[in-house]
Parts: sequence; C-alpha cells; structure tokens
Amino acid sequence: MSSVFESPKPRINASMLSQYVSKPVCFAGRVQKIHPSGRSLTLLDGEGKTAQVELNDPLDEEVSGIVEVVGMVSNKGTIMASAYILLRDDKYGFDLELYNEALKVIHDFPQYYPFQ
Amino acid sequence: MDVVLSEGAIESLVKGQEVDSPVLQMVNIRKIDGGNGPARFRLMMSDGMYTMSSFMLSTQLNPLAEQNQLVPNCVCLLRKSVTNILKDGRRVVVVLDMEIMKTAEEVGGKIGEPTPYVEGQAKAPQPAVPTPTTRPLQPQNGNDGMNKGPNKQPFAKKTPVAPSTPGGSSKIAPIASLNPYQSKWTIRARITNKGSIRTWSNSRGEGKLFSMDLVDESGEIRVTAFNQEVDKFFTLVEQGKVYYISKGTLKMANKQYSSLKNDYEMTLNGESTVIPCDDAHDVPTLQCSFVPIGDLEAREKDSIVDVIGVVKTVEDVTRITTKNSREVSKRNVHLMDMSGRVITVTMWGTDAENFDGSGQPILAIKGARLSDFGGRSLSTLFSSVVMTNPDLPEAYKLRGWYDKEGHAMDGQSMTEARGGGGGGANTNWKTLADVKNEHLGHGEKADYFSCIGTVVHLRKENCLYQACPSKDCNKKVVDQHNGMYRCEKCDKEFPEFKYRLMLSANVADFGDNQWVTCFQDTAEAILGQNAAYIGQLKDTNEAAFDEIFQQANFNTFVLRNRVKLETYNDESRIKVTVMDAKPVDHKEYSKRLIMNIRKLAAK
Repeated sequence: MSSVFESPKPRINASMLSQYVSKPVCFAGRVQKIHPSGRSLTLLDGEGKTAQVELNDPLDEEVSGIVEVVGMVSNKGTIMASAYILLRDDKYGFDLELYNEALKVIHDFPQYYPFQ
Repeated sequence: MDVVLSEGAIESLVKGQEVDSPVLQMVNIRKIDGGNGPARFRLMMSDGMYTMSSFMLSTQLNPLAEQNQLVPNCVCLLRKSVTNILKDGRRVVVVLDMEIMKTAEEVGGKIGEPTPYVEGQAKAPQPAVPTPTTRPLQPQNGNDGMNKGPNKQPFAKKTPVAPSTPGGSSKIAPIASLNPYQSKWTIRARITNKGSIRTWSNSRGEGKLFSMDLVDESGEIRVTAFNQEVDKFFTLVEQGKVYYISKGTLKMANKQYSSLKNDYEMTLNGESTVIPCDDAHDVPTLQCSFVPIGDLEAREKDSIVDVIGVVKTVEDVTRITTKNSREVSKRNVHLMDMSGRVITVTMWGTDAENFDGSGQPILAIKGARLSDFGGRSLSTLFSSVVMTNPDLPEAYKLRGWYDKEGHAMDGQSMTEARGGGGGGANTNWKTLADVKNEHLGHGEKADYFSCIGTVVHLRKENCLYQACPSKDCNKKVVDQHNGMYRCEKCDKEFPEFKYRLMLSANVADFGDNQWVTCFQDTAEAILGQNAAYIGQLKDTNEAAFDEIFQQANFNTFVLRNRVKLETYNDESRIKVTVMDAKPVDHKEYSKRLIMNIRKLAAK
C-alpha cells in the first residue's frame, strides 16, 4: 500500500476510473453519502458522476464538502483510499466544475502534463 | 440576335430629354483614376446608330465594371441616368442605375455600324444601316450650327418639369448624381443638420465656416460654407427646411469628418444660390440607418454610426478640462435597444447640459462615433444630431417594446465599468515577454495591458516622498529646514507634510520580468499598508519598515499597466506604470487559462 505514496498519482474524474484499475490516482469530489459504517463514502465529481471510496479505517471526524483522496483503483472501479484530505476553503469555494475542466486539459494534452 | 437597341436614344440623352430605359450597347470602357477617390469608369455607348463616349458610371455601379460584367459589346438597360452640361458646354450622361441584359458573349459583336455622335449633327437616316429596327423619325437638322432648345423633338417625351426651379429652367438633379465633372445643376434638398459657425486661426490665416447636411430622395451630402458665404447664407438657412441649391463646388468627401453616404461633399462659392422651397412635402427628412446596439461590437473603432435606444439611466453632467485646457460639459447616458445590450453614450457641450432623461425617453443619434474606450462606447461629435423622442417608426417600435417587455430586462452592458472587475472580456492580457516582443509603448500613444505578475523585488530607497498636505495636491514639498515645508504649486508653506508612495517594483511572470512604477494606491495595494503608516515606520521603526517589504515579496497580483517609451537626456527607456493592482482571482484566472489552452489547441 505504501506504493501509492511513492508513485505518481494522476488526477482523474469518475469517468476515467475504469482506465486506472490497479493504479494509484488522486480524486477530488463533493461528499454525497457516507456509509453508516464510516468505512465508505460516495463522492460526486465535477460532471455529477459518482465514485465509491473505501477507507481502511472508519472515519473519526465529520466529513463534508470537498474531499480529495489518493488511493488505488480496485477491479470494481472503487478507490481504495490510502489517505484523504478535506478541502475546506470557505473563502473562495472550491469550483469542482472548473477543476474538472482543468483535469480534462491535463488528460487531453499528456505531452505537456507528463505526470504518469 | 434578339436584342433591339433603342435607336435615337443617344441623341435624346445628350439633349437631356427623358428617355424611358433605353437599351444600349456598351462599346468601350475606360477607367479614370480619380486621385484619392474611387476610380470612375467612362463608357462609350451605342444605340446602333450613334456612339457617344461621354457616359460616366456612377461609383455605386463600379462593381459591375470591376467584376468584369460590364465588358465591351454587352447590352445594357439604362434604368436611370442624368445628363449634365459641363461649363464648356459638353454633355455628360451619368448612369445611375443599369442592368446588363446580354453579356458580351451572348451578343457576339458590335450591333449595327454606329458612328460617333456629334452634337447638332444628327445624321440623317442612312439606308445603309442594316439594323431592321424601325426608327423613330429623326429631325432633319440641316444646318451644322447650334441645335438649341426650341427644336422640340417630336418623339421625345417632354422633360418632366419636376418642381420647376424658381428663376431657372434647369431640371432638378438628385443629390446622388452630383459629381465634380458637372457644374450646372440645381438640387432640392432638406437641411437635416445645420452646424453652428466655427472659426479657425492658424499660420495660414483665419476664417469661419459652417456646415450643413442635405438630404433628398436619392441621397445625402455635406455642404460647407466659408467666410463670405457664411455671412450670406448662415441666417438664411434653417434646419428642417427645404431649399433649391445650385452651383456649389464638389470635391471628394473627407470621411474622417463626415459619415454621410456620399463620396463627395459640396462647398458653397460666390456663384452658389440657395433659395427656399415651399412645396416640399415629398422631400424626405433625416435619413438614419440605425445599427442595433448588439452589432456595435463588430464595428470598427472610430466608425460613425446611427443609433437609437431607450435611455435606461442618465448620469449627471460633469465638467472636465480638455487637453487644450478648455472646459466642457459631458454627460453619460446608457442606451438599450431590442438586442438587450446597453451601451454608454457620452454627450458633450450643450447637448449634455440640456438633455432631459426623465421618463426614459427614446434617444436617436445620427453620426455618433464608436470608441473602444472601456469595451465599447459611443460619443457624440460636433456633427452628430441628437433627437429625443424622434418622430420615427423605429422610435415607436422601441417605445412599445420597452414598455411591454424591455423595462424588465437587465440589459448587458458593452461598456465596462471603469476600474471594476478583474478584467472584462476586452482586457488586453499580455505576458511580460509579449510586452517586450510586441514593442508595446513604442507607438505615439501609450499602450495599456494587464498581466499576472509576482513581486520579486521592491526598491525601499526613495519609495516615499514628502507631499503637500492640502487635499487634492500631491506635489512634493521643499523642506525649508525651519520646520516648514513649501509647496510650489499651492504657493504656501505648511508646518507638516503627508507621506506619499512612489514605489519601484520588479515583477515577474513565467517568462520575463519588468521594472514597474507604482504610485500611492497601487503601491499601498502591493505593500498591504497605507502610506502614512509606512512613512511613520520609516522614521521610527526601521525593522518593521523592512519587514513590510519582505512580506510583500512573492505575492502575485493582477496588474493593469500603462506602458510608454520615454526619453530623458536622449536616452529612451520603456516606462511601465501600474494603474491598478488587485489580488488574483484564481477562478477567473483558471477559466481564462483553460480557454486559452483550448483556443491554442484548436489552431
């Protein structure tokens, strides 16, 4: 699992998950649902599509708003998170749609964004 | 060959008689370069019997010739023409409207064996002419002498004596037919705009002039009178009235000063006559071709346009001092039309002072100048006609629309509020490398650009100066070394001064860096402290003073700058002054970057 932290983690959105099975990724989205167990949450990306995130340990804090996770994509297309961070920025607000546009640029021009 | 030329038409045309849409063959065409004006084309036409080369194509028909449709041997239908008599008695037929009935290929060659027409030498019917056309009776004009007036042509239609001119027998000419090649004409036209008398004084002398705009059913023309003619005609003519005008001098119009749709303009001279016309209901009033406000964006800067719109809001009159220290009034109004767009119109002088914007009237302006100041805006000119609630169909339509639905619309402004926003759609974004590569500021006028810049160095030395404490005077004071500070501008001494900032900063982006100068407000924005506090620290706490400059390094701003090449002691250097410094709006910046990437990728 430590390999996630050591390798590059391309930023992706939900529709790109299937191309990154068994690869480490970085995903940012808005918290839609938290499983009562606290070990799983559903994130909504800038296109309104959902991604399932599985955590090793149950959440021990309240999680809402924009969350960024890094982890490995499973065969089922869920993200096995190694870590997460809350992007709480009430001053400017995090513009997920704009973030998604930037993501697309990164993936449309890999020659200029050689992150993987 | 099924084309029949109108034999005899040439002679009738030359004599100025009305010929109803004659069919003529074009035998020859010649281009006459008219100096700085558009080229003119001279045609030789044939009616199968005679040829005559004194046909001029009016400039609006130039495309026919330029696109090679009007080539020798083609057969034309002359819809509209005017015969003019030059000073030396020669006749010129100006073709105002024509249609090509048969192309040169279809015709194949010259029809008949026409001979050059010589005035007064109408040639007798020649049996040799093979054209089978029945020709109207030709007057037998045996004597080679003058063939003047009383010889009424029995076949020609009587010249329609359009409202006869007082005192003259010449026919009324349409404005569109006027050109410098003819002098004997009378027009009947309405004055749509009469300027006031202006005077000039320069090295070549002084004088006065006034201009007026004339319109008839065929077109419009600018008329100017100088000196004696000002005395003679200024009091006589009244805006809105109709006059007979003859014997003016025509010359190429200077489009810089006139938006009228005419290639020529007229100057009144000593021989010119201006006579009021009473029966003139058929002469049209002001001709406007209104441009929808939404379309103004596509127009070129400095173009002259006619606009009509609802006065959405009115600003108060302000007085400003122009460059040559004249004080004038100005007033901004915001016009909206059915395009839902709003544009700011600046009115000047008496128009500004007298304007009553209450009740959201309809405002029509003929001949306003489009500027790219703050996006797109309009400005009235000396020659503009400003009409409040004009009696025009467009005005009623607009009124109806506004009262029904328009009043509820917000209207999208084309004029950027000054200083507002991080940069509207029209901000001139540049990278610092662009500024150098494109040689901004090297032109006559200063250039303005916006950039994203990070402060990499600030010059602490001399960033503050001691300024006059009076309000609105920021002049540097001279320390009298007796506890008093003298301001040369106010011519006064004060016991105190105020600190003002003049900060040199080096800003950088990813590609280059640039020294810039920031005055008071922008320097305060960059340092994050006000000038008085910084001045106080400088005198009392140097460590804290240094700390401010340390803290300000590596902050990034959106900078709006003025750039100009300035020369001191024969040394030229680019001077960049920051007009506005604002923190970066990252969302807006990202959007712009993404948009630029997409645009570049699409290329």
